Amino acid sequence: MKISRDSILGLFFAVTGCVVLGIAVQYPFGTAGRMGPGFFPVIVSGLLVATGIGVLVRSVSGSVEVLSAINWKALIMVPAAIVVFGLAIEPLGFLPAVLLLLVLCAVTSVKFHIELKSAVGALAFTGLCTVLFIELIGLPIPVLGTWLHE
Amino acid sequence: MDIFNGLLLGFSTATTFSNFLYCFLGVLLGTTVGVLPGLGPVATISMLLPFTFGLPVDTALIMLAGIFYGSQYGGSTTAILMNLPGEASSVVTTLDGHAMAKQGKAGRALAAAAIGSFFAGTVGTLFIVVSAPLLASFALTFGPAEYFSLIVLGLITSMVLASGSMLTALGMALFGVMLGMIGTDVNSGAARFTFGTPNLLDGLNFVVVATGIFGLGDVLANLEDERSRPASVATVSSLFPTREDWKRIIAPVLRGTGIGVLLGVLPGAGVLLASFSAYALEKKVSRRPDEFGKGAIEGVAAPEAANNAAAQTCFIPMLTLGLPGTATMALMIGALVVQGVQPGPEILTQQPALFWGLVVSMWLGNLMLLFLNLPLVGLWAKLISVPYHYLFPMICVFVAIGVYSINNSVFDVYMMALFGVLGYFFRKVGAEPAPLILAMILGPMAEEYLRRALLISHGDASVFFTSPLSLGTLIVAALLLLSIISPRFRKVREEGLQEAD
Repeated sequence: MKISRDSILGLFFAVTGCVVLGIAVQYPFGTAGRMGPGFFPVIVSGLLVATGIGVLVRSVSGSVEVLSAINWKALIMVPAAIVVFGLAIEPLGFLPAVLLLLVLCAVTSVKFHIELKSAVGALAFTGLCTVLFIELIGLPIPVLGTWLHE
Repeated sequence: MDIFNGLLLGFSTATTFSNFLYCFLGVLLGTTVGVLPGLGPVATISMLLPFTFGLPVDTALIMLAGIFYGSQYGGSTTAILMNLPGEASSVVTTLDGHAMAKQGKAGRALAAAAIGSFFAGTVGTLFIVVSAPLLASFALTFGPAEYFSLIVLGLITSMVLASGSMLTALGMALFGVMLGMIGTDVNSGAARFTFGTPNLLDGLNFVVVATGIFGLGDVLANLEDERSRPASVATVSSLFPTREDWKRIIAPVLRGTGIGVLLGVLPGAGVLLASFSAYALEKKVSRRPDEFGKGAIEGVAAPEAANNAAAQTCFIPMLTLGLPGTATMALMIGALVVQGVQPGPEILTQQPALFWGLVVSMWLGNLMLLFLNLPLVGLWAKLISVPYHYLFPMICVFVAIGVYSINNSVFDVYMMALFGVLGYFFRKVGAEPAPLILAMILGPMAEEYLRRALLISHGDASVFFTSPLSLGTLIVAALLLLSIISPRFRKVREEGLQEAD
């Protein structure tokens, strides 16, 4: 199925706008002279809904630019690697988390293959990061986390 | 403080050992990210921002500024040698710069770009010295209505100049304003759009969003065409422009500088517009317009001068009004606010060492860049050939560490991953993220100024039209909006921005 870029974007704007508008109307609106916390959000989200509808209308009537193929592997793997980093940084510590992130990202590349040079490079880079960020810049992150301590 | 004493103070601030060192570090990093295609200054600055929180505020700003204008120099190297814009504003440089490189004149093109940039940088900093104090004292008379109108102008300019359709850019800006609304409302104390999580009470961190959309989003987008990256780098011969080259570049550099200086100040315009306008002007006034695109040295010198001039003067609205004109300036404001410095007209009187130190360091940085770029060009050429599959895992590591270190918060890391996916989505559907980032910073300011202006006028919206300055600003904004409806301007905009893609 071919999906136009505008229809996706228009839908995104319109749905986000509706959700925000739905929340914003629950805040006190106030008057123009005394704006409540809901005043500005209602206006902005209303405009966003209108814009979204505008983009949708354009997608139906105007020239159609088709969405190109999505690189699902990168789209899932790289953010997942970041999440793994987030999960690992406290229990495992800085060094293992960085190494995990580095390797998980590298696996995503079409050029990835296991070789000694890259493995040594990854270890060296992780070590370098540890020295740079923990020793030199002094970030308050333990090098090895609570799980790896006795 | 008069200009002379200001410059003296600036010299003594900028030449302390640590400031000098960080200025050098900044321009070195800036050149590096400028040279590397797929890594821009916005991503780098947002990535490094958390690490500068421990530095004194002047040192931090000096380094971040160095990254920004340094990338303007580095971008031209990649443009000329590889026909790839290392950085968005050097797109036009690829046209004639790479054509010159193919004719074996790469060295002369590089020299023209670097010399033009240096001259423009010098004029740009001088322009800041002269005009910023004037504008700041003028800005002290601005009320909330004037500020609100200026913000509207900045947002509209950034929308008009975004690639893609105006409607899309409007949506992106509104979405950005919305992201800015998350958190505790400063006026009523109400928690807005926090979805019940305490992590969002202080608002969505701007650095997290910028790093996600630009840093991680760029990685995801670049991984798409990983196989099709060109790898040929032109060789560099003589770096000395001939006498004829000098003759040919003097006038274009002067014109480019003029355009850049003026367009840099316009809120929302940024450096991209400056280089395009300079190129278009040169093509128009040249006696040999047919040479353009085939290796005219004027087509390298003028846009490079213009983008570097604009890279200096776009600091003016940020420093004197506290209003960011570009996404990079929005990040600088973020850096200042974290350090407890409120950018605005008072910055000159309350933080004179910061202001003058920055300005002087910018000139020193330009001087360093001239030497970094010309004699060391061979080194940078090697750097271009670093394959992306080595580079992007490192970028991911830096963005993750950077975001985590802001608050030692894992939540921020997850949000960054989310915004990375969102950044990729925006690129896929052809929506440029620059208006979003700018709007996220400007949105809360707009709300606050709107509230104050209407409070003073008791809800009477005519206050925006009775103040002459506010009215004038809104008229300019309206004209910009109208101009996009005019078919002629539309054509020019589409052509200009097409080349940017």
